[in-house]
Amino acid sequence: MPETAVSQQQYAPKDYKSSLKPIWCPGCGDFGVLNALYKAMSICGLSPEKTVIVSGIGCSSRLPGFVTTYGFHSVHGRALTIATGIKVSRPDLNVVVVGGDGDGYSIGAGHIPHTARRNPDITYLIMNNNVYGLTKGQVSPTSMVPMASLQANIDPKRWKTTPYGMTEDYINPIAMAIAYDISFVARGFSYRPNQLTEIIVAGLQHKGFSLIDAFSPCPTFNQDQTDDYYKEQTYDVPEDHDPTDRVKAFELALRTDGYPIGVIYRNDTKHSIMEEQAALKARFAGQPSGSVSALLHRFV
Amino acid sequence: MSQQTATHATDVVVRLAGESGEGVVSLGDLTVQMLSSLGLDIYTFQTFPAKIKGGTVMYQIRVHSGVTLSQGDGVDVLIALSKDGYDSFHMGMREDGILLYDSDAFTPPESPGRTEYGLPISTLANHEKQAIRSEVEGEQLKRLPPPKNIVGLGALMRLISAPLEPAEQYIRDLFGRKGEPIVRMNINALHVGAQHIEDQIGAKRTPHVYPVPVERERLTINGNQMLAIGALAAGCRFYAGYPITPASDIMEFLAKEMPKFGGELIQAEDEIAALGMCLGASFAGKKAMTATSGPGLSLMVEQINLGGQAEIPVVIADIQRGGASTGMPTKTSQGDLNLAVYGVHNESPRIVIAASSVEDCFWTSVDAFNLAEKYQCPVILLSDQALATRKCTIPMPELDKVRLEDRLKPTSEELSNGFRRFEITETGVSPMSIPGMAGGAYVSTGIEHDELSNPGYDPDLAQRMKAKRFLKLETLAKSEGASYYRLWGVKGHAKVGIIAFGSTEGVLRESTERAREEGYKVAHLHCRLINPLPVEAIKEFAARCDKILIPELNWSGQFGHWVRANTNIEYRAFAKDVGLPFAPNEIYNQIIELLAE
Ligand SMILES: Cc1ncc(C[n+]2csc(CCOP(=O)(O)OP(=O)(O)O)c2C)c(N)n1
Ligand code: SF4
Ligand SMILES: [Mg+2]
Repeated sequence: MPETAVSQQQYAPKDYKSSLKPIWCPGCGDFGVLNALYKAMSICGLSPEKTVIVSGIGCSSRLPGFVTTYGFHSVHGRALTIATGIKVSRPDLNVVVVGGDGDGYSIGAGHIPHTARRNPDITYLIMNNNVYGLTKGQVSPTSMVPMASLQANIDPKRWKTTPYGMTEDYINPIAMAIAYDISFVARGFSYRPNQLTEIIVAGLQHKGFSLIDAFSPCPTFNQDQTDDYYKEQTYDVPEDHDPTDRVKAFELALRTDGYPIGVIYRNDTKHSIMEEQAALKARFAGQPSGSVSALLHRFV
Repeated sequence: MSQQTATHATDVVVRLAGESGEGVVSLGDLTVQMLSSLGLDIYTFQTFPAKIKGGTVMYQIRVHSGVTLSQGDGVDVLIALSKDGYDSFHMGMREDGILLYDSDAFTPPESPGRTEYGLPISTLANHEKQAIRSEVEGEQLKRLPPPKNIVGLGALMRLISAPLEPAEQYIRDLFGRKGEPIVRMNINALHVGAQHIEDQIGAKRTPHVYPVPVERERLTINGNQMLAIGALAAGCRFYAGYPITPASDIMEFLAKEMPKFGGELIQAEDEIAALGMCLGASFAGKKAMTATSGPGLSLMVEQINLGGQAEIPVVIADIQRGGASTGMPTKTSQGDLNLAVYGVHNESPRIVIAASSVEDCFWTSVDAFNLAEKYQCPVILLSDQALATRKCTIPMPELDKVRLEDRLKPTSEELSNGFRRFEITETGVSPMSIPGMAGGAYVSTGIEHDELSNPGYDPDLAQRMKAKRFLKLETLAKSEGASYYRLWGVKGHAKVGIIAFGSTEGVLRESTERAREEGYKVAHLHCRLINPLPVEAIKEFAARCDKILIPELNWSGQFGHWVRANTNIEYRAFAKDVGLPFAPNEIYNQIIELLAE
């Protein structure tokens, strides 16, 4: 979050609320995430005209329409690429990316490691409902039934595209994000709204690429990973956890006794692509600046 | 340099062939430099081996007094630096052509009618190096390459009766700081090469080049370089791309220059990301561009559509290459026309423009950005491998003729009165706010939307908004777009009229000129804008021609189909897709055949 995107004016959470009513089903976890985002933006004092919320396609990707900032509702899986173009060309803007688990970890997964390499100051908020919501209930890369379920004859979760059970394993997005050395990795839960707000604030304030995976249950198409399930399965990141310790962060991400909520990993030593590009431009700033005529004369 | 007025016209085609890494390219570049310094016009044509390292390369130079329109037909002088080079590229030589070969490397087979010169390049070059051995220190001597290229250059210059002074000057400039002995070695090498030919010439026939006084400042440059400089001139300040032959050198060129112009450049993880980044940067207010070739353009299709639907200016240069799928990356083609024009699910507006010469690459690049800004949509700029790698001598572009367009932005009044990003207007163009503008916030989106950019699927809304977006292309077609073509040849009634697009303009001009010199009434309309086509101009043109010929470099005749779909004219197709540009003779023969029917 650049200083340039912070407003002198105070904005209440409701000031970020657009006139468009969310199209989400009653009880959708995304409401909680949206409210936490309103609050976090208000706490950070973000100027709506200096903020862009970028998304892909999915129920969750409809979010930009519900906010009064600039927005870009793009195509499935490509939000990070668009956000990178915005942020690199306009470092003065605050750029937030939102979307679903399918959007981010399936079709768009190839862009995550490269965004990590570039480390732009972008906050990526994934509403993880462990299912494809918008397309009505197909398996997602975070749909959770172990691969061995068919062989073990465990009655597997039957998604619409896996009527006999899943034949693929699922992704652990937090471990993946740590492996990619994303410079801020956190997990939130839409039914822990205050904590989620705090995490989003920390993500916005982090200088660099932050990935926040927020459990955001889909009561319509996922009866397994429900709000009750996550209420039971989540616990706070231990107070003594040092998120700058990458090995400890991995250990936390790989725990099987539930899901720790909070900031799991951070690396504040990484440079961002905007810093590097600014330095590059500064190197040439003292010299006669680029001239088309001089370029052409090189070929005379 | 002494400059005598041309009393004779020059038109010589020199072809260099040898192993890659053997100095073919550097000798070619040197020759180009020398000949253009004589005021002559250059047109090069290169082929590149498919291998990463090694393989034979060919560098053809046509040198001409006055504008050079094509690579020419036959080869007057073949310089073969290796047997493989000779074997691969002696076809196309005139029967009475001249062969200059490295006699240290091989002996060519007999060929009656041909004039031959053997030149022991390595022997002569080594000899010159040895001559200065006592004057150069051990380490420097070890690293000093024998001046093979310079021996070759001297020989070639003598062979075509070109003066040696420019080469001498060049040697002094280039090697001056390396010390007098090195300069002397190279100058001697130049003269030894020239003398070796002199000794053999006797009564043998040699072609001549005649210097021409230079009136205007000229540059020798290739298509991709002109395209990249045109982009900077047009105000491009963001570039994202993914390497692909033959587009990569645009990114490599801009990588060096963009920071000096205060812009950003990113090598993306793939073409999808590259175009995504460009759309993001343009949404944020920058003029943005990506360049790719067919395989990359295929990957970009979904986001080209997003740009059309969300009305975002962006330039996508497609440097077409040969063949389908991986095809023939180092060869040329005009096979992406269908993809450029039709590559989309459902429909959204895009503009397609094509560059037709090296000089035109600059102006087409400027036009592409201006059209993107003005009509707020993607512009696909078609070039191709032959044009991208072709070096030509061209007049310095008149930069004061560059006019820049900027997208329509909302007024402060519009911003404070319920700004409508997709307001329906008479031209279809609506004001576009940029993040940072208070009151301008909207959600850019590929989903169908109303004037405020709120999603909606109402049939009436769908009709109105689609009409609004396509109205922009109509506005363009009715205004400036109607004049995006060039006419050549006879003005009135013509027996044969050629309609074409892209990099074939020069060769078509040359072949139609030849036909006209022989008394045939031939005309040529060359389209610069492909979508929307200058329909009225094409119809008028067709009406004054007895027969229409549409030549193009692809298999199925994509441009012909596109022209017929838009104008309903009858024509004869000449579609060919073998990786090479047209030769003037091929087109000339087509014209003669059509005339005879
Ligand atoms: C290229 C492309 N492929 C497929 C789709 C169809 N599609 C839309 S949303 C979606 C998945 C949505 O799942 P997720 O990203 O998890 O978002 P959610 O709806 O669960 O919030 C799919 C497959 C599309 N819009 N575009
Ligand atoms: S389908 Fe699921 S994710 Fe989509 S809006 Fe309804 S509850 Fe939310
Ligand atoms: Mg989902």
